[in-house]
Amino acid sequence: MSDNKQIVADIDHSLYDFKDIENEKDFYRMEEGLTRETVLKVSEEKNDPEWMRDFRLECLKLYNEIQMPNWGPSIEGLDMDKISSYVRHKSDMKGKWEDVPEDIKNTFEKLGIPQAERESLAGVGAQYDSELVYHNVKDEVAAQGVVYTDLESALRSEYADMIKSHFMKLVPPTDHKFAALHGAVWSGGSFVYVPKNVKVEIPLQSYFRLNAAGAGQFEHTLIIVDEGADLHFIEGCSAPKYNVANLHAGCVELYVAKNARLRYSTIENWSKNMYNLNTKRALVEENGIMEWVSGSFGSHTSYLYPMTILKGAGSKMEFTGITFAGKGQNLDTGAKVVHQGERTTSVINTKSISKDGGIGTYRSSVTIQSTAKKAKASVSCDSLMLDSISRADTIPGMDIRTSDADVGHEAKIGRISDEAIFYLMSRGISEEDAKAMIVSGFANPVSKELPLEYAVEMNNLIKLEMSGNG
Amino acid sequence: MSKDLNMKVNVLPVTTYNFLHVNDGRLEIKDINLQTGDAPKAKAVPAGVTLKENVPFEEAGEVFRANKDRILSLKETMVSPNCETAARDESQAIRTGMGADVDKLFSEIGGTCDVYTVDEDAKVEEPIVLRQDLTDGFGGINSQVIHAKKGSEVTVVMAYTSEKAAGGFLGVSTRLLAEDGATINLVKVQILGDGFVHFDDIGGACLKSGRINLTALELGGKEIFNGAYINLSEKEASFYSNLGYLSRDDHKLDMNYVADQRGKKTDASMQFKGVLMGTAQKTLRDTLDFKTGSSGSVGDEQEDALLLSEDVVNRTMPVILCQEEDVEGRHGATIGQLGEDLLFYMQCRGIDEEEAKRIMIKARLESVARLIPDPAIKQLVLYYIQQIV
Repeated sequence: MSDNKQIVADIDHSLYDFKDIENEKDFYRMEEGLTRETVLKVSEEKNDPEWMRDFRLECLKLYNEIQMPNWGPSIEGLDMDKISSYVRHKSDMKGKWEDVPEDIKNTFEKLGIPQAERESLAGVGAQYDSELVYHNVKDEVAAQGVVYTDLESALRSEYADMIKSHFMKLVPPTDHKFAALHGAVWSGGSFVYVPKNVKVEIPLQSYFRLNAAGAGQFEHTLIIVDEGADLHFIEGCSAPKYNVANLHAGCVELYVAKNARLRYSTIENWSKNMYNLNTKRALVEENGIMEWVSGSFGSHTSYLYPMTILKGAGSKMEFTGITFAGKGQNLDTGAKVVHQGERTTSVINTKSISKDGGIGTYRSSVTIQSTAKKAKASVSCDSLMLDSISRADTIPGMDIRTSDADVGHEAKIGRISDEAIFYLMSRGISEEDAKAMIVSGFANPVSKELPLEYAVEMNNLIKLEMSGNG
Repeated sequence: MSKDLNMKVNVLPVTTYNFLHVNDGRLEIKDINLQTGDAPKAKAVPAGVTLKENVPFEEAGEVFRANKDRILSLKETMVSPNCETAARDESQAIRTGMGADVDKLFSEIGGTCDVYTVDEDAKVEEPIVLRQDLTDGFGGINSQVIHAKKGSEVTVVMAYTSEKAAGGFLGVSTRLLAEDGATINLVKVQILGDGFVHFDDIGGACLKSGRINLTALELGGKEIFNGAYINLSEKEASFYSNLGYLSRDDHKLDMNYVADQRGKKTDASMQFKGVLMGTAQKTLRDTLDFKTGSSGSVGDEQEDALLLSEDVVNRTMPVILCQEEDVEGRHGATIGQLGEDLLFYMQCRGIDEEEAKRIMIKARLESVARLIPDPAIKQLVLYYIQQIV
C-alpha cells in the first residue's frame, strides 16, 4: 500500500470511530430490554400527549405479535434484551451551537457539521443517541414559513394536528416487526414543513450520531412538502465501533404534494456493529417529484429499501443508490415503488460493490397497479465483485397488473476488467490505485447527484473501503 | 387412486418480500383420480439408446446419486446468500425446478420412471418422440430419466395434447444427466385443454462440456406449473433454454428456472417469450447462480412479455446470485403492450392494431416453435397458434 493511501485511511478512520465516555453524571440510560414499563418510561421522558402514549403501547403489542422477517440477512445477533431503547445527554436541546455541551460539540465539530451549516446548509438538526441536541434553521428560510424543528416540540405546537394526521400513517406499525418497534420507542428526529410554492434553495440536514454502546436509535423524520414547494433534505449518520450490537430502527415519512419536489439524500456510515433496520417511505401526489440519493457504506447488517408510492397522476420517482459491502458486512439494500396514478414514472439506478467477504444484496420491487395506465418503470442495477470471497446478489421483483405500462429492467454482475487495470497501470498507476479509481468511476452516477461536500465524503469512504480500513 | 394434492412448488432459491407472492407456488387440487404407469412411449427406440421401463422413481435417481460428488462439487469458501432455500430440496436425487414435493408425490403413490440411456459417443439423429394425447378426465403422472453418456447426443421430444375443452390432471418429472461432452436436446410442448392442471418438473446436470438444450412451449391448460433446475457442474458445461408461453382467459402459469453454475467457463442462457391475455396470471422466477469456482462463466436471462389485456397479472423475479469475481451475469426484461413506434410502423404499412397484435403473438411463439425438430408436432403447434390468434 502506498504511503499516501495509508494517510487517507488513517484520517478517515479517526473521523468516525471516536467515542465519548458515557458517564452517569452527564447521561441518562434506560435499562436494556423492551417491556411495557420501558415503553411507558420513554413516553414519560418525552412528555407524550395521551394519544401518543396509547399508540406506543399498541405498537409494543404489535411488536410482540409480528414475526421476524423470513427473508433477508440474519439478525440473530440482535438481542433486544441487550439493547437500551433510550439514552440521552442530560442537557436540553439547544438553538445556539455554543450552548451545546462541550463533549457533544466536539463530536459534531470533528464530523464537520457546524462548518457545513455555516457554508452550505439552510438548517441543521443534530441528534446524539436518542435526543436532538441542536436544531437551527437560518432566519431567511424561517421567514419563508419553513418549519424545521424536532418532532417532540412540533407535537406540542400549532402543527400538532398535522403531525397526528401524518405520523406513522405512511409506515403503519403493522408494516413489519421493526416498524412496530419504532412506533413503541421512537425518540428524536425532525419535522419539516415547506409551505406552498416555497423553494428552499439550499439543503436542510439532519445528522444522527449514536455514541452509546448497546443502544438503539429510533428517530422519526416527518417531512411535508406542500403544493409547488421544493426541498433538498440531507441525512447523515455515523457511530463509533463497539463489540456489542447496536440497533438503528428509524423511520422516515415523506409527503410530496401536487407539483412539489423533494430530494432526500443519505450518506450512511454507521459503525460495523450496527443493525440498520430503517424504514423510509414517500407518498407523491399529482405531478410531484421524489428523488432519492442513497449511499450505504456502514453497518454490520442493513435492511434498507426506500419506498415510493406514486399516487398522483404524472408523479415521478428517481432512486440513485450505491452500496459498498466490505469485510463482515451484510448489506441488503434497494428500493420499492408502487405506481398507482396514471402516467407515473419511476427510474431506479443502483450500484453495488462487494469486497473482502462482504455480502451486498440488491433487492427491489416494482408494482404497477391496474389504475396506473401509461406508467413507465425502468430499473438498472450493476454489481461489481472485487474478489471471490464476497457475494453480490440481485433480487428484483416486478408485479404488473395492467397492459398499458412499459417496464424495463436490466441487471449486470461482473468484475473490473483486466484491460482497464492494464491501461491505468501502463500509465504508472499502481494496481490498487487503479482499482480504486475504477470503483470511484463506477460510483460516479451516484456521487454526481450529491452536493460537492457530500460527494467528496462519499469518495473518501470508497477510498477507505478500498484500502481495507473501513 | 383418489387423492388431494397440496404441494409447495417452485420455491425461489432465496426468499424475498412476502407481499410479492413469489417465494413459492402452491399446487392444490382436491379429489383427483391419479394413475401411474401411463407414461408415453416412443414408437421405436433408436439405435444407441437403451430403454428401461417402469423403474421405481427412487431407483431411477441412482445415476444422479452415483455422480453426486461431481454434480455438487464446491469449494469450501462458499458463503450462502441471505435466506437460501436449498435445504428443502436436499432429499432429491437431483434438484429440480419444482422441488422436493414432486419427488414426494412420485414416491408416495409408487410412481415409476422410464430410463433412457444413450451409449457412449452415440450420436442419435432420430428424435425420440413421446406423445401423450389425453382424454377428458385423465389423471396421471409419469417420469423419465435421460442419461446421455460421454460424448453422446440425443434429442427427446415430449408433447402433451388433448381436446380444447378437455380437463384433467397430468404431472411429469424429467431428469437429465449429460456426461462429459454429451448433449441432450429436450423439447417439451404442452397443448392441453382448458380444464387441465399440469405440472412439468425438470432437473438436470451437465458434467465436463456437457450440454442441455431445452425448448419448451406452454400453450394450453388451466393451471400450469413448470420448472427446471440445471447444474452446470464442471468446466464448460452449458444450458440453453428457449421457453414460449401463451396464457389466456383465467389461466395461471407458474415457473421457476435456475442455472446453477459451478464449473469454470460454464454458459447459461435462458430466454422467455410470452403473451398474456384475458385475466391470465403468470409468475416467472429465473435465477442465475454463480457459485464459487465458476470463474470465466457467463449467464444471460431475458424476458419479453407481451401484455394484451387490462386485467392480466405479470410477476417476474429475475435473480442473479454471485460468489465469483470473474463472471458476467446479465438480466433484461421488457414487459408491456406493443410499443407505439412498432404500432406506428405497422399502421404505416396498412396493418391495423388488432392485426399487429396477431402478428406479434405469432412472432413470439413461432420463434420458439421453429426449434421443434419433429415436423408433425411443429405443425400441430403452428396450427394451434394460428387458431388462437
